[in-house]
Amino acid sequence: MTGERCSRGHDVGDLVDYWAGDVEGDQAERIEQRIFECADCGERLAHIEAMSRGISEVVRSGRFHSVLTESLLNRLSRDGMRIRMYTLEHGAIIPCAVWADDDLVVSRLRADFTGVEQVTVALQLESGDELSRVPDIPIAPGQTELLDAVSADRLRQLPPTRLRLVLTGTRAGKEEVLGEYGLEHAGNMAP
Amino acid sequence: MGRMPRSSASTLSAITDEMLAQTIASTAAGDATDEEAELYRRYASRVRLFGLRHLRDQSAAQDLVQQVFVVTLERLRRGEVRNLGAIGSFILGTSRTLAGAQRKIEHRRRGLHETFDDRTAVAMPQAETLDLQRVERCLQTLTPRDRMILILTFYAEKPAADIGAELHIAPAAVRVARHRALTRLRDCVMPEKAI
Repeated sequence: MTGERCSRGHDVGDLVDYWAGDVEGDQAERIEQRIFECADCGERLAHIEAMSRGISEVVRSGRFHSVLTESLLNRLSRDGMRIRMYTLEHGAIIPCAVWADDDLVVSRLRADFTGVEQVTVALQLESGDELSRVPDIPIAPGQTELLDAVSADRLRQLPPTRLRLVLTGTRAGKEEVLGEYGLEHAGNMAP
Repeated sequence: MGRMPRSSASTLSAITDEMLAQTIASTAAGDATDEEAELYRRYASRVRLFGLRHLRDQSAAQDLVQQVFVVTLERLRRGEVRNLGAIGSFILGTSRTLAGAQRKIEHRRRGLHETFDDRTAVAMPQAETLDLQRVERCLQTLTPRDRMILILTFYAEKPAADIGAELHIAPAAVRVARHRALTRLRDCVMPEKAI
């Protein structure tokens, strides 16, 4: 834990675990007892609840840019999020667009991640100017694709243009380009 | 039990939980509304959070707050709360009982509402409202892994063990990273508050 404590010396990390549902039974009951005895703990739990609700609402609204796991992608889909997906191979340029009712655009970036532990994905304009850069993305053993999700609202603001996604990583101590993917962005399409 | 002297509004926030409980317990219904409101102010948020954690529903949590305070005030007045110094524990116990039997008490709750409508008409504890655009911006300041851990925890509602399996890290590492990430996010979204 980070060692942060409430005014009565209780570990605030326990409150986060409690709210996340990672403690049950006697341990949960002890934490609840603490919450009802310690007003500061109650207040901190209220902040944790507010933050967790905020995260959930931002994700539900599709207003985020993040790499995803397959399970998270499935969950978003099950929850009714309208997801437009593009599968990209290194070196290819594919047409893409955002429709009015899209919530999220997911690029499935295929690459050889063997021996790579972390990668960076950069979204660039044809001019080379960067629109975004996400560094330090963890790569799991055996992973062959990276799911990069961008808010459809954000992409709707772009005019028709050619975009480039560049995936870089460090293999055997040497930084290298793992993949370059072209997107012929047709802009915001009518419904 | 002797009747406690009434507290002025300005001193209410300074008196102990036990003194509040004693005043409510020794005063006729309707004569300790300030003390009742103060007890409510101190504990309603915690009961709501307890309800949210166990019932997973905002409306049910708000209902639980009403039920718990109706029962707490009634039992205080009847002299059925033995240890007034541990009124917090009593409220927690009442929360547990009522949350655990929520379906069974639904009918009873309606009756209580009719009987004690004046006392349950106090304002519901309001959940803190955040600036979602700010949350969105602040989420982007986290590392991809930390952002993923927070999303998997609080949106997908996955336990640390499942997140660890998915991200190939130990559950204990998930907990540590989650707490740190939430603290960073809090510092960015509401720097004046402490988690």
